[in-house]
Amino acid sequence: MAETTYLDAIRRALFEEMERDANVFVMGQDVAQFGGAFRVTKGLYERFGRLRVVNTPLCESGALGAALGAALVGKRPIVEMQFADFVSCGFNQIVNNIARTYYRWEQPVPFVLRLPFGGGAGAGPFHSQSPEAWFAHVPGLAVVAPSTPADALGMMKSAIRDDNPVVYLEHRFLYRREKESLGEGEQLTPLGKARVAREGRSITILSWSWTLHESLAAAEEVAREGISVEVIDLRTLVPLDEETVMASVKKCSKVLIVHEATATAGYGAELAARIADQAFEWLDGPVKRVTYADRSSPYNKHMEKALLPGREAIVAALRKLARY
Amino acid sequence: MAEQTAGTPSPTTLRRAHFFMRLSRAWDSRFESMARAGNIGRWYSAVGNEATTVGAALSLLPNDALSTVHRDLGAILTHYLDPTRLAPALFEPQDRTAWDALRPDPGALLHRLASQVLGRRDGFTRGVDRSFHYGLIDRATGLRHVGMISHLGAMIPVAAGLALANLQDGNQNVVVGFIGEGATSQGDFHEALNMAGVMKLPLILVVENNRYAFSTPLHEQFACEKLSDRAPGYGIAGETFDGTDFEAVHGAFERALARARTGEGATLLEAMLPRMRGHAEGDGSYELIAADERARWLTHDPLPRFEAWLTRIGAADAARIAAVQETATAIIEAAVARGLATPEPELHEAWRNPFAPGPVADAFARQHAEVTRG
Ligand SMILES: Cc1ncc(C[n+]2csc(CCOP(=O)(O)OP(=O)(O)O)c2C)c(N)n1
Ligand SMILES: [Mg+2]
Repeated sequence: MAETTYLDAIRRALFEEMERDANVFVMGQDVAQFGGAFRVTKGLYERFGRLRVVNTPLCESGALGAALGAALVGKRPIVEMQFADFVSCGFNQIVNNIARTYYRWEQPVPFVLRLPFGGGAGAGPFHSQSPEAWFAHVPGLAVVAPSTPADALGMMKSAIRDDNPVVYLEHRFLYRREKESLGEGEQLTPLGKARVAREGRSITILSWSWTLHESLAAAEEVAREGISVEVIDLRTLVPLDEETVMASVKKCSKVLIVHEATATAGYGAELAARIADQAFEWLDGPVKRVTYADRSSPYNKHMEKALLPGREAIVAALRKLARY
Repeated sequence: MAEQTAGTPSPTTLRRAHFFMRLSRAWDSRFESMARAGNIGRWYSAVGNEATTVGAALSLLPNDALSTVHRDLGAILTHYLDPTRLAPALFEPQDRTAWDALRPDPGALLHRLASQVLGRRDGFTRGVDRSFHYGLIDRATGLRHVGMISHLGAMIPVAAGLALANLQDGNQNVVVGFIGEGATSQGDFHEALNMAGVMKLPLILVVENNRYAFSTPLHEQFACEKLSDRAPGYGIAGETFDGTDFEAVHGAFERALARARTGEGATLLEAMLPRMRGHAEGDGSYELIAADERARWLTHDPLPRFEAWLTRIGAADAARIAAVQETATAIIEAAVARGLATPEPELHEAWRNPFAPGPVADAFARQHAEVTRG
């Protein structure tokens, strides 16, 4: 069977859900005939027309606010940011309006925010960021970040069907690099459930999205040295699947958190705090992190690579942890 | 204007308008006196806005949407309540519309509204948010109201999105949004009106220009002559009118609604309103305005003007006007008394799940709550 890329998996989810439910629609800059900056929505316009594949002017706040309005009266909007970095221009609509509606007056806001994010492309400070922690901090937003085509498909479908705002981080580097064969028919990945991506015994890695793949490669490498690493793909950051995380931590007793976002007040800090709180007695070493350096993303590729949390850094951290 | 001319609102419309303007004013009077006595935290008076807010909401049909901010009580009352059940003695059988038959029990709804504004258990948010920071959307009753968040301007794109949904559904419903003139300086004002122009949205945005934003006068807020001058820049219609003149309000809305319902697109309406109160009661902003200016605005009260006009055209006599005023006051007195007698919200409401029911809410509930309590 032909392999599906991560990008095609997202498009398939959009297509299937728009076929299934006439209230689902896509909105964003250049998403219609052009198919979006990364061509994720390519072909949707021809099938569903301009009222369900809605081009907006160059505005983030306006589009996000409009998505909220439509969601309040029964629509299920999916808004694409051209790059995740530009979501800052619509921040208020997300963190104060969309996120807080249900808690305040119990009107559901079925809404998906698509954030093409991440570095590795030499794209500089404004096209490389990993903004999950901005949103994880806000009550009322689910935050998800699939790492595989199967989850890109299954989590997008679940996100669209959920009655809550879901921030969906899709990694640009994975778009065309990750491929797998996906079956026909309905494939849903539940939100709020982590996945054990590799079983192991002595160190738990917690990661997601692009760094999940780097973590798996690093785990493979240190396995040859006799270090057995379990890799958990969190998939959903908020709400966190503490059950799966703590079970692995308690089994392995050592933890390495790997994420592409910068370290300070990143989502890894939240994980470390929860582990310290709930699994302190089981720990045999410090909870360590491998993350982006606390810097903006440099434009020069070599400089960017130096700051990125790649597999060598992960291998080094695993070896260090193994000595405890 | 000695007699009714073509385009003059129907007698039914005038009776409703009069009642809701007085109901809104009675509410304000009651809350202003509570604010003066220090019995409520803050009160943003809508005195002076009634002809505009009530006139706007009276033009709406079931499932037309209303997006309100902090001085739009008149619009909310008009949108929600069946006056023929609330004040039967004031209305004729023919005043009861088909929509009134769909509307919920007005007494119960008024109680929820009073409880909400007083921060009581029976309010729409049950203690989680203040005053007009909520919404009420119910297709069966035709009520489609989206309230505000504190961030002014943020609701304008939301109103545009409500209008987009109408376009997607191919219906003739419209959206009326309110905003103060101060909040027109927000980026969301521009983004939303630009989208409304490009997408030809069935949106009417009403700027309630009451000459000040907190303490900031018009010349420190914008440099154009009229805010409606911005409309052509967005490719939409624009009109500035005297927002204390019910006939002018009615006419402006008839034109804007005709455009919105026939696919011609959005309108920016600027209602010129008198500054009859300060920003919030007792916050010192009123005293900053020169005494002669304050005195001048007090002579622009839309209510005596409306009642004098009703009298001139023979739509009401002194006895009827007094009856409307007394009835409105009595209804508000009773609603506030009941609201004040309603208990505080229950504490457990603070802990309610921030997610709507479903897998995400379930996953949230599985997380360790103790993490926030050591
Ligand atoms: C984004 C934002 N900035 C500041 C404020 C604080 N604030 C509350 S009301 C107000 C003035 C609003 O003036 P205007 O829009 O003219 O409405 P009015 O109160 O005059 O009806 C200000 C500055 C706010 N609520 N939101
Ligand atoms: Mg003002």
